[in-house]
Amino acid sequence: MATETERRFEIDAVGRTPLVVAFVAVQALAFAAAYSVGQPTWYAYFIVGSTAVTAYALDGTSFTVATATAGSLLMIALGLPLFMFVARQTPALVIEKALDPDVHRVLYLGVYGPLLAAVLSLLFGVPLAHLLAKGFPGQPLVESLVDLPLVVPHSVAGIIILFGFGKSGAFPQFSVLGTMVGMVLAMAFVSAPYAVNASREAFEAIDDRLEYASRIHGANKWETFRRVTGPLAVRGMITGGVLAWARAVSEFGAVAVVAYSVEFFYPFAGEKVTAQHAPVFVYNTYLQGGLEESGAVAFLLLAVSAAIFLLVRYLTDDGTAGGMP
Amino acid sequence: MTRLTADIRSTFTADGAEPFTVDAAIEVESNETCVILGPSGSGKTLLLETIAGFHEHNGVVTANETDITGKPPEERGFGFVFQDYALFPHMTVRENVEYGTRYRESSRDAAELLDELGVAHLSERNPPTLSGGEKQRVALARALAICPSVMLLDEPLAALDVPTKQALRDDLADILDDVTAVYVTHNRTTARAVADRIVVMQEGRVVQRGTPEDVFERPASPMVARFTGSNVIDLSAAPSLRRILDDGIGSQARSDGSGRSPIDHDSDTDAAPQVAIRPEAITLGDADGDLSATVERVVREDATNRVTLAFDDVTVEAFATSPPVVGTEVTLSFPRDRLHPC
Repeated sequence: MATETERRFEIDAVGRTPLVVAFVAVQALAFAAAYSVGQPTWYAYFIVGSTAVTAYALDGTSFTVATATAGSLLMIALGLPLFMFVARQTPALVIEKALDPDVHRVLYLGVYGPLLAAVLSLLFGVPLAHLLAKGFPGQPLVESLVDLPLVVPHSVAGIIILFGFGKSGAFPQFSVLGTMVGMVLAMAFVSAPYAVNASREAFEAIDDRLEYASRIHGANKWETFRRVTGPLAVRGMITGGVLAWARAVSEFGAVAVVAYSVEFFYPFAGEKVTAQHAPVFVYNTYLQGGLEESGAVAFLLLAVSAAIFLLVRYLTDDGTAGGMP
Repeated sequence: MTRLTADIRSTFTADGAEPFTVDAAIEVESNETCVILGPSGSGKTLLLETIAGFHEHNGVVTANETDITGKPPEERGFGFVFQDYALFPHMTVRENVEYGTRYRESSRDAAELLDELGVAHLSERNPPTLSGGEKQRVALARALAICPSVMLLDEPLAALDVPTKQALRDDLADILDDVTAVYVTHNRTTARAVADRIVVMQEGRVVQRGTPEDVFERPASPMVARFTGSNVIDLSAAPSLRRILDDGIGSQARSDGSGRSPIDHDSDTDAAPQVAIRPEAITLGDADGDLSATVERVVREDATNRVTLAFDDVTVEAFATSPPVVGTEVTLSFPRDRLHPC
């Protein structure tokens, strides 16, 4: 009978990557089987059971088996609806929506608007993140303000934006209600904390002595940021930008209040068009066309978002991390 | 050729730490190496970083009699070598060494410097792939590349293994011959090897300053004596030694020809109940020794033995080329000119 150590050696000999691939393949087959016989509930039981068995094979301790099993229950809540959502799509309807020019405009706006919001968040969020990492008097107040959008209901956020920047707001010359400016502002309001906090963590991870070394050898603060601090924190900034973008893509409440539908320049048509932000469009389609039709649009939005997210992760993952040598 | 002075009187506060007050002044003549020696937490690194311009303070720093207190670090023309190297991890070794050269009117060739320091073959490597000794040589090259008017070194050898430390210490001693330098360390061996002048710090204050000879042979306090490796003997607990010193009968005690001890010079042994003497000054096994002691412990070191000896109610350490047997009695001789009240 093999001891625990021997068992782990056997697993190490197989290698982690093949193990992950095999696990995912088994899960996919099990889901396909359960779904094809009209019993997706069986797959929920299978997730729990297979996770517990895998944890036992990998570690063998009751603690790991218990934590893995508990974690798998959450994975059911997160993953099963997603699998069901993908499995229940009607390919013909998805293709029809994918060829619909209205959907093209929505998808373009769903990527482009959040991109503007993420860039805006980074442009002004990175300097603030640098300040927060260094510390200053009254910092807790600013930190609270930065984190405020994380706890404010997003429809409330929309109302706040209208009060602040609407007709009787601080900048009456700018129109925010139902405009692209308003939509980007609403998105930036809810997504900026992600850009600021991720960048701040990246700055805080840089040893002060690297900045000292730069300064004492002749670089001023601007040059030190350009040549040392900035490059070492760039991965954190990109992470913050991606998180802010993703948050803006998914924003519904604030956008629905501030900019339900907006007019914007659509380069593929060469003219200004009117469209809604994708989550608002999905909601409208759901109300007017039902679950199946809105599901097809949601599937396309999900696919585009996932593709962009994975592309950014791939492009920025150079396998290294900043810090002291 | 830069003469450096610093007179710092400030209280510094770091996040989550108790405020720390530094009240210290140093003067370093041109091409002199001033070692700031002290235990951990004595404020020596803080003093060095303040001289570099990293921290705001209430004191005055001058270079060649010019007040540079308000100048930012990049305008001081100093080089700095950090204990944990602080090399830029996203740049190659060559890029690290060339980092500051674009900001200086005069600079040295990176390839030449790396060659001199024996790390030319690493020029296209990244710092995280180097050993500790290699990193510190690169850090040294980076500081030297900008032709600094003053070199500031913060325990540059502390993180290295013994053979690497010895090799780099020899190189450093040569390099520091031609530049004004302030060198922070808690290692007395390093301090003695590189210093022209030593400043001993404790709890943010200077407790002694002088040449290495002054500090090591004539420590100003029991703390300095212990920190620099001397024996501190409480004469009230060592009556046999005190009797010898009072009588002036020790054969070795008359080695300076005067027949009088430093304690006699003070004419008040009660005011100086403690004396310091370096372990290497005590002679073991001399037939005409001053007193008898019991061997308590023998520790083998590189080319000698460190021997712990007990007499009366005190213990002292001495060196012996041939190790005595633990538990046996040996005679000790205390050269009077090497005994210093502290």
